Amino acid sequence: MRGTKLVCEENGEHAPPAPGVPQRKLSRRRILAASSGLVLAAALGTAIVRSRGYAIAPDRKLLTLSPWQFVVVEHAARRIASSDRPGDASVPTADDLDVAGFVDAWLANMSDHIRRDLGRFLAYLEHLAPVAVGFASRFTRLGPDDQDAVLASIESSRHDLLRSGFEGLKSLVFAGYYRDPRAWSLLGYDGPLVGRPPAGWR
Amino acid sequence: MSGAFVAGRTFDRDLVLDVDAVVVGTGAGGSVALRSLARAGLNVVALEEGPHSKPADFDQREDHMFPRLFQDAGARTTEDLAIRVLQGRGVGGSTVHNTNLCKRTPAAILDLWARKYGVSGATVGDLAASFEAIERDLSVSEIAAPLRNANNEILRRGCEALGWRGAPLSHNRSGCQGSGFCELGCAYDAKQNALKVVLPQAVGSGATVYSDVRATRIVHDGTRVSGVRAIALDEHGQLCARVAITAPVVVLAASAVGSAALARASGVPDPHAQLGRGLRLHPGAVVAGRFEERVEGWRGVPQSYECTEHLSHEEGSDRRTWIVTAFAHPVGAASTLPGFGASHMAAMRSYPHLAVLTAMVHDETSGEVVVDGDGRPGLRYAMNEGDRAQLASGLVACARLLFAAGAREVTIPAIPAQRFTRPSDLDGVDVSARSPVLRPHSVSITSVHPMGTMRLGDDAHTSVVRSTGEHHQLRGLFVADGSLFPTSIGVPPQLSIYAFALHLAPNMVERARRG
Repeated sequence: MRGTKLVCEENGEHAPPAPGVPQRKLSRRRILAASSGLVLAAALGTAIVRSRGYAIAPDRKLLTLSPWQFVVVEHAARRIASSDRPGDASVPTADDLDVAGFVDAWLANMSDHIRRDLGRFLAYLEHLAPVAVGFASRFTRLGPDDQDAVLASIESSRHDLLRSGFEGLKSLVFAGYYRDPRAWSLLGYDGPLVGRPPAGWR
Repeated sequence: MSGAFVAGRTFDRDLVLDVDAVVVGTGAGGSVALRSLARAGLNVVALEEGPHSKPADFDQREDHMFPRLFQDAGARTTEDLAIRVLQGRGVGGSTVHNTNLCKRTPAAILDLWARKYGVSGATVGDLAASFEAIERDLSVSEIAAPLRNANNEILRRGCEALGWRGAPLSHNRSGCQGSGFCELGCAYDAKQNALKVVLPQAVGSGATVYSDVRATRIVHDGTRVSGVRAIALDEHGQLCARVAITAPVVVLAASAVGSAALARASGVPDPHAQLGRGLRLHPGAVVAGRFEERVEGWRGVPQSYECTEHLSHEEGSDRRTWIVTAFAHPVGAASTLPGFGASHMAAMRSYPHLAVLTAMVHDETSGEVVVDGDGRPGLRYAMNEGDRAQLASGLVACARLLFAAGAREVTIPAIPAQRFTRPSDLDGVDVSARSPVLRPHSVSITSVHPMGTMRLGDDAHTSVVRSTGEHHQLRGLFVADGSLFPTSIGVPPQLSIYAFALHLAPNMVERARRG
């Protein structure tokens, strides 16, 4: 294997490889990452086959997500940002704040490979993660409690990449939720101070 | 003679320039290099990938400022997704969003570089004049006690209660309003940084700063540089013009990630496989304490006090953790707190009562910056055992400080979440490198200080640039950013980057004059 060599996972300074040859590592971490990559690739393949049947509002113009990805984000956002006080109308929902719409627009700021990774993760969440928990259904067709169970299983997965994927999705959802002044009031956060005289907030 | 700030997004035709020197990047290092070259009477330009912001652009909203001020809107990570790497973009670079902490490169670090890494002419004495000059330029001063907010007061109280070493920090602010939005750019123009101070001085001396222009290739023949190719991007990030600059001197100052990536993508000679290697990150993670009283940590100067009880810069030290405060606005806080759904929202309701500390590791792990086929950087960095143990013990130290200051509950945001209600709960926490919880991928880790991918040194076999700052193989190629550092420096790097750029600038001037 040209340019590939076995090295210890715990790295210190790298031993110099031959000039011009990129150094590669074949470690437990890399093997795990490759395995997870295969799982995600399988999920992507499944998603291509099963990306129909996802309806979005006719007036919704998507910038980065495909319709099926948008629907998965909508469902995930409802659970990730679900209220601690069900029925309390003062707590905005993820739909109220159009979190999925925000995520779609926000991703335009990111590089292609980040969008590609997120797409793979969403495919895993929709098609494979429910199966791993014992559900014979897409994520978006599960009830709220079952969706929570699927999300919790990914959050605590033994696979590093899946946990990191969940944290990435969670960050996007919370960026969409807690950017909104309607969510700030839940926290006692008074938001930007520009335009206010310092005497009013010091 | 006066130069100009020019927005590349307005270009409607290609640009061709022939200058004495071109600087890639306009942060701490790039701004100083540009100013020095301009003050020497040279015809010099700088290229900056991001936009040129004015104080009025900083509206203190995370959702607006992250895409404007950070690479990938703040979503850049290491390749294994374990560490989020926050890096600036835009005129002024990371000096626009940083928290203005000013510490000189520790003497022990400079000694190590001279002794072990073959760096010459960069002792404490050699650099003193550069540090003094830049501290004057940036109005560096100790952060006065009245500016210390409740979160930092909790850190001070914790240090005092435990008898741990702590001290006020110094900063480069003047006229601070204490709004607490430093990491989103200063709407009050109180930051004495590259954007406000150094770049305008450079422009006043004749330099031209092109924003929205991304360097794509260093032009060279294998022995000397002859310029830079770049693209101008419109407001949607789409190509609107091509830029070709001919220059006998090229200064890389696009960060330890951006500079190494550009050099690699350009096929800069690397006969000893050193380019891009030696990446250090200062990885850090946070701990939150819930207090009875309202802390409102989002208000006031974000970081004004430090705990150095667990930090030594001596080689081989087993105390390599620096502790400071790390409060975030709601988006950042929500992403960091553990869990999701109802329990997460319940935890967020404690937001005004939280104090947050971070343990930053003075790291020994050596990572690498690589590039893909499009020239985009990838960061390979897997924390070694020693650094993982430092991170774990640092997090526990943060928890002890919070309890000592009166926290009712302390949470280490990990998977699963680690919650403690008594200091004695911490006694059984596994802080070894094998800790199943306090490790990458379980703890959310962030880096804001990439360093060390084009290292200084006189030996071409172990470094990328000479102690003069010039590349070993390519005449006229200089480096003036954190890439230069042979190791982690264990303190916020901005002042060191400013000072090293100033220290090395005469070599750039001399080379440019020779043509």
